Amino acid sequence: MNDQPLWLTFIVAFTAMNVLLAGMAYMTWFERKVLARMQDRLGPTRTGPAGLLQPIADGIKLLGKEDLIPAAADKPVFFFAPLVIFVTAIVSVAVIPFGGTVEIFGRDVNLFAADLNVGALFILAFGSLGVYGIILGSYASASRYPLLGGLRAAAQVISYEIVLGLALVGVFILSGSLSLRDILARQQETLSLGPIDIPNWFILSQPIAFVIYTIAAVAETNRAPFDLPEAETELAAGFHTEYSAFRFSFYYLGEYINMIVISLFASTLFLGGTGGPGSDRFWGLGIFWLLAKTIVFLFFYIWLRATLPRFRYDQLMGIAWKVLLPLVLLNIVFTAFIRLVANGELEIPVWVWIAVAVAVVALLALSLRPGGGGEAAPARTSAVGGD
Amino acid sequence: MPWDVLIFYLIAAVCVLSAAGVVVARNPVHSAIFLVLCFVNIAATFVMMGAEFLAVVQVIVYTGAILVLVLFVLMLVNPDDLPEFHAARPVQRYVGLLLGAILLLEVGAAIVTRSVSGEQGTATPDNIAAVGGNTQALGRVLYSDYLLAFEVVSLVLLVGVVGAIVLALPERLGERPSVARRGSISLSHPRGVDAALPEGRPAGETLIPTRHSTSPTRASGAVATGNDREVSAGPTPTGVVRDLVMTRDADAFGHMGDKR
Repeated sequence: MNDQPLWLTFIVAFTAMNVLLAGMAYMTWFERKVLARMQDRLGPTRTGPAGLLQPIADGIKLLGKEDLIPAAADKPVFFFAPLVIFVTAIVSVAVIPFGGTVEIFGRDVNLFAADLNVGALFILAFGSLGVYGIILGSYASASRYPLLGGLRAAAQVISYEIVLGLALVGVFILSGSLSLRDILARQQETLSLGPIDIPNWFILSQPIAFVIYTIAAVAETNRAPFDLPEAETELAAGFHTEYSAFRFSFYYLGEYINMIVISLFASTLFLGGTGGPGSDRFWGLGIFWLLAKTIVFLFFYIWLRATLPRFRYDQLMGIAWKVLLPLVLLNIVFTAFIRLVANGELEIPVWVWIAVAVAVVALLALSLRPGGGGEAAPARTSAVGGD
Repeated sequence: MPWDVLIFYLIAAVCVLSAAGVVVARNPVHSAIFLVLCFVNIAATFVMMGAEFLAVVQVIVYTGAILVLVLFVLMLVNPDDLPEFHAARPVQRYVGLLLGAILLLEVGAAIVTRSVSGEQGTATPDNIAAVGGNTQALGRVLYSDYLLAFEVVSLVLLVGVVGAIVLALPERLGERPSVARRGSISLSHPRGVDAALPEGRPAGETLIPTRHSTSPTRASGAVATGNDREVSAGPTPTGVVRDLVMTRDADAFGHMGDKR
């Protein structure tokens, strides 16, 4: 890392932000197209080739609409609540590394806006601030449906934030750092498994954490099948029922930017970020790989939406507290233990290993016995997941 | 004036003003918003002092979790039921004034006598850089020198959690609200139900006070026979006022996903 002049950092941040905004616009197009194909439709086709100008038309439409404010609304709060969710979503991209320090036009440029040593926590912190946009917007609307949507959102986001944060602890233990650049650097090392070398991506060493992170991320961004705060069959449009025109579009923007940021974050933490064939030779390929992984993640989001029906609210909370939280805590204990043993800081005699193995097998056998106890939580998962 | 000093004064000014706003605002939700602003600015001062970890934890724990819960409760409660602001008892007023004055004197004395600067500890920038940064330094200290204190704090928190669960338990353990109960909208139950049970509210449910909260007698007064309900099944049957209740175990109502 080099100390670059402030204006250069500004340009990098500005570019990242605008790419994110443009990406958000085309995310809506992508979602409509993919959803349409999955439902045997065509999606937008009229505006431009393959409907490519549709996001722009939508933007102009939203700008031109009438801005309604409920008479009983708490006006100052009503005005700034949508901005909260938008700003907190977009600030998070500052710590995502799109590459290391590269030379562009004979000048060293850092391909990231800020290298915080707590970058990963920074994104979590701003994600937790984003919930204020939802809560305050729902409160300020002075209306029943938004209020119920806001309450649901608050409870949901707090619950899943805990799961999301704890899922990352395993990665932090393995990388020994909270800085996204360090985590990225650790994943660019290679692991040799006999004859083949594989990249040391954390999805390989932390598969449980990755799955839990993915589930929690869907809930954290209020997307289907966890979109209870805006469940239209129950709550009209949920927390943004009373919002219209450009104020509504901030919520819309915020939601999609959150999705993109959380996908970028997942790609960086678990999928090797900018790592990929040729990325060590040319920085542009690194960005390409990062974006490709992010798009795969986003496609998965849309796939979920097209496939799964919405959960019931108590099931949603049950999954977080009764299934994901215990699993993720186990993952942390297990990872820390393995790390201690692998570093040689903890010597364990062979007979302990054998005793543990016997105990695990005995427990498994007991719990898998037909009608046996101890299977309550996993059985619940399958019942819930099978809905 | 160097830039960082200028930025510090800006942050400090917003911080103090929003702290004043917490006290002055008449609407409790506005107070909470000011408190959020204050906490975020405190986090910003932590960043300026090089304590990024502390700053981020401040944001996650205080603004991201605790204040969201405060807002959650404020939104559930009818504003008319809140105790009147600026209507403290005289005792509270004087004691509060006294405590505030003492705190101000203490802080002032500390600044004047420079006892804050005192002797320099071992947490110098060089020592922190030697262990890899302030996050690592903090972790090392917390989990080695102050391990006992750390564990005691977590035990206290655990006791708090157990206490909260005990308070929320029904009077008789294992008691579940009847499946047939009526007359309330459950926050967690998708099929809101319409009339009240004759025996009144089952144990294990907490009535959330709203403008329309019914007393137990009114709830049982609104009992309707099955036929009556079908007749008056319009959008809002007159005389039937829905209560908001919190139920502990929504599974007791629903049989959608379970095979019970």
